[in-house]
Amino acid sequence: MTDFARHEHHDFHGAASQALADRGLQAALVRLTDTLMAGNRRAYAELPDSDKLRDHAKRVKEHTLAHLDRYLEQLESSIKRLGGHVHWARTAREARDIIVSIAGQGRSKRAVKSKSMTSEEVALNPALEAAGVEVTETDFGELIIQLAGERPSHLIAPAVHHTRESIAGVLSSYRGRSLPDEPTALAAEGRTILRDRFYHADLGITGVNFAVAETGTVVLVTNEGNGRLTTTCPRVHVALMGMEKVIPRLEDLPVFLKLLARAATGQTLSVYTTLLTGPRRSGEVDGPEEFHLVVLDNGRSRLLGTPFRESLECIRCGACLNACPVYRRVGGHAYGGVYSGPIGSVLTPLYDSVSKHVALPHASSLCGACQAACPVKINIPHMLIGLRELAHQAQRPRVERLAYRAWMHLLRRPRLYEFAAWVARLVLRPLSRNGWVRRLPGPGGGWTASRDFPAPARLSFRERWSALKRKSSDEVTEHPST
Amino acid sequence: MIDSREAFLQGVRHALGHGRQAGAGMDLPARGAVGKAGPVPDLVQRFCRQWNAAGGRAHVVRQRDVSDLVVQILTGRGSGSVLLNDDAMLGQLQLGHCLEAAGIPIIRAGAAAPEDWRSAYFGADAGISCADQLIAETGTAVITARRGEPRSVSLLPPLHIVVAARANLLADLFDLFEPGRWPDGLPSCVSLITGPSKTGDIELRLVTGVHGPGEIHAIIVDDIV
Repeated sequence: MTDFARHEHHDFHGAASQALADRGLQAALVRLTDTLMAGNRRAYAELPDSDKLRDHAKRVKEHTLAHLDRYLEQLESSIKRLGGHVHWARTAREARDIIVSIAGQGRSKRAVKSKSMTSEEVALNPALEAAGVEVTETDFGELIIQLAGERPSHLIAPAVHHTRESIAGVLSSYRGRSLPDEPTALAAEGRTILRDRFYHADLGITGVNFAVAETGTVVLVTNEGNGRLTTTCPRVHVALMGMEKVIPRLEDLPVFLKLLARAATGQTLSVYTTLLTGPRRSGEVDGPEEFHLVVLDNGRSRLLGTPFRESLECIRCGACLNACPVYRRVGGHAYGGVYSGPIGSVLTPLYDSVSKHVALPHASSLCGACQAACPVKINIPHMLIGLRELAHQAQRPRVERLAYRAWMHLLRRPRLYEFAAWVARLVLRPLSRNGWVRRLPGPGGGWTASRDFPAPARLSFRERWSALKRKSSDEVTEHPST
Repeated sequence: MIDSREAFLQGVRHALGHGRQAGAGMDLPARGAVGKAGPVPDLVQRFCRQWNAAGGRAHVVRQRDVSDLVVQILTGRGSGSVLLNDDAMLGQLQLGHCLEAAGIPIIRAGAAAPEDWRSAYFGADAGISCADQLIAETGTAVITARRGEPRSVSLLPPLHIVVAARANLLADLFDLFEPGRWPDGLPSCVSLITGPSKTGDIELRLVTGVHGPGEIHAIIVDDIV
C-alpha cells in the first residue's frame, strides 16, 4: 500500500457536496478555470500547426515509453559523466529513505523545496521533518498551503481555494502581526520570509519537468523563480522525478516547452525555464556542489504494459482540470488524492488502488473536454471507462447486482417484460413534472439524488409499432393498384 | 545501490515485455518544420513586442549609448551595489568604468568569489548580465552560468538588466536546441528568462517580483555584429 492518498476511503460525493455549497470556492474556481482556459485556447491558436505539434509530442512520448529502460539508462550515464548521482526508488518509501539519507550524509538541517507534485505523492515533507530537517515550500501558493496545513488543490495553482483575506490570515498568524489583504504586500511578505530561508538553506529539493537522456539535463519550469533559487543557493540539490519524465534528446525539449506553458497558463513560455546539467563546475561561485537525481517508479511500471500506459504521457500542465465541468464545480480537494481533475481520476486509482477510489472514474461526464485541452491528447475518457469497469469488478453493490439480475430475467421473457414496462409507465408518469422525473420515492431516491430522466412515453415502441403496421396494411388494402 | 537499480530496471523491462506498445516499432519521429514560427521581417521588433508583453522593458541602442542608458535606469535605485558579470561584451562596453564614474558601487562577479558571497549578492540592488541569445518568438533572454557569470546575477537583485547584441537574436525557440547548437555540451545552468518574476497565487492577481527580479530590462545593442 502506498500513502499516495491519505484517506482510507475518500468520500468523493460528500466532499463534492461541501465544495458545491462553498460560494467562495465556486467563485474562485470559475475565475481560475475561465482565465486559464481562455489563455489556453488563445495560445494554441497563435502557435503554428499546434495540432500537428501536439501529435508530434505524443509520438515522442509513445516512443520514449516504449523504450523507457534504454532512455533511463542513458540518462543515468549522462548524469554520472557530469559528476552527478542517480538513485532508483521503486516505492514512495524508498524515495523518502533515499532523500532522508542524502540529507543525513550532507548534515543538512534546512531544506528549501520548489513546488513538486511528485514529492507530495511520496509524502516527503513529514519524513524529512521526522529526521530533523526543516522543510520550507518556496512556491508562494505552496507556502500558504504548508502554513495552513493543507494540500494543493490545483496542479499549477495550489492555493486557488484561498482568498486574499484567508491568505492574509495565514501569513498574519505565522508572522504574529496583522498584515493587509493586499496582493502586492502579501507577496512581498512571502518574499521576505523565503529570502531568509534561501539564504540559510543547505539542501534544495525540486521536482523535474523534463529530463533529457542525451545530455543529462534536468529542466525546471517556474514563474516565480523559486526553482532557480532552490538550485542556486543550497550546497546540495536533489531532484525527484517520476520515471516517465525522461525525454530522449535536447531537440525534443522545445516541443514540450512550447506546449506546456501554453496549455497551463496561455503564456508562450513560463518566466523561467532552467536547464541544469550536472553540479556547479570548477570556478563557478554559486549553484549546488552536489547533484542527486532520484528516479521514482511507485506504481508506474505496472501501467506500462496496460492500456493505461497513456496516463504516463502526462506533462502535468493542469489544462484538463480547467476544461473539466466536474473539476470546475468541485475543485481539487474533492478528489482526495494528490492529483485532481480528470487526470487525477485516472492516476489516483491506478497509483493507489481502484477499490479505494471507486467514485473517481465516475466523476466525469465523459464529454471529452479534457482530451481536447490536453497538449499530448491523452484519451482520458477512454481510460475512465476502463477504470469504471475495474471499479465495478472491485466493488459492486448488492442492490445493483440484484437489479441487473432481475432485468436480465425480464429480458428473456417478452410477455413479462411488456407487463413490467406497463407497470413502470403507470407508476412513473404521475411522478413526472414537465416531462421529467426528478425524484423517486423510497430506495429509488438514492438514484435520483444526482440524476433525472425523461418521463416514459405514453405508448411503448412495441405498441406504436403494431399500430403503425396495422395502419400501413390498411393503406395497402385501400390502394391495391399501387 | 546496484541491487535497487537492477531491480528497478528489471521491473521496467518486464512491464515493457507485456502488451502492445504504441511506438515500440518506430524510431524517434522527425518533427520537420511543424510548430516553427514563420519568417518574420524584423526580429528585433518581434522580440521587443513579446518581451514587453511579458512585462519586461526593451531598449534598442547603439554601442556608445549603452552605458548612459544603464546609468539612467540605475539612478535613484537605493544606495546598494550593482552585481556586474565578468563578460567579454560588458568589458568591451566598459560598463564597469562608466558605473564607477557615475558613483554607482559595483561588485564584479568575476573577481575571486568573496568568502561570503551570499551576503554581498543577496544585498545587491541590481544585476547586469549578458544574454547568449535572445529568442524573438517568445521574447526570451538566454543566460548561461559560467566562471565569472554566476546564476545569482540575474536572480537575486530586484532589478535585472540584460544586454545582448542584435546578432544574437534567434527567430524561434527550436533554433536554440537544434543539433550542433551546443558543440561543447550544455553549461551547468542555462536560464531562459521571459519577463519579470510573477505569481498569480493570490486570487489570480498578477504580482511581479515575488522571488526573482520584479523589473527586467533588455538592452539590444544594434551595432555589435
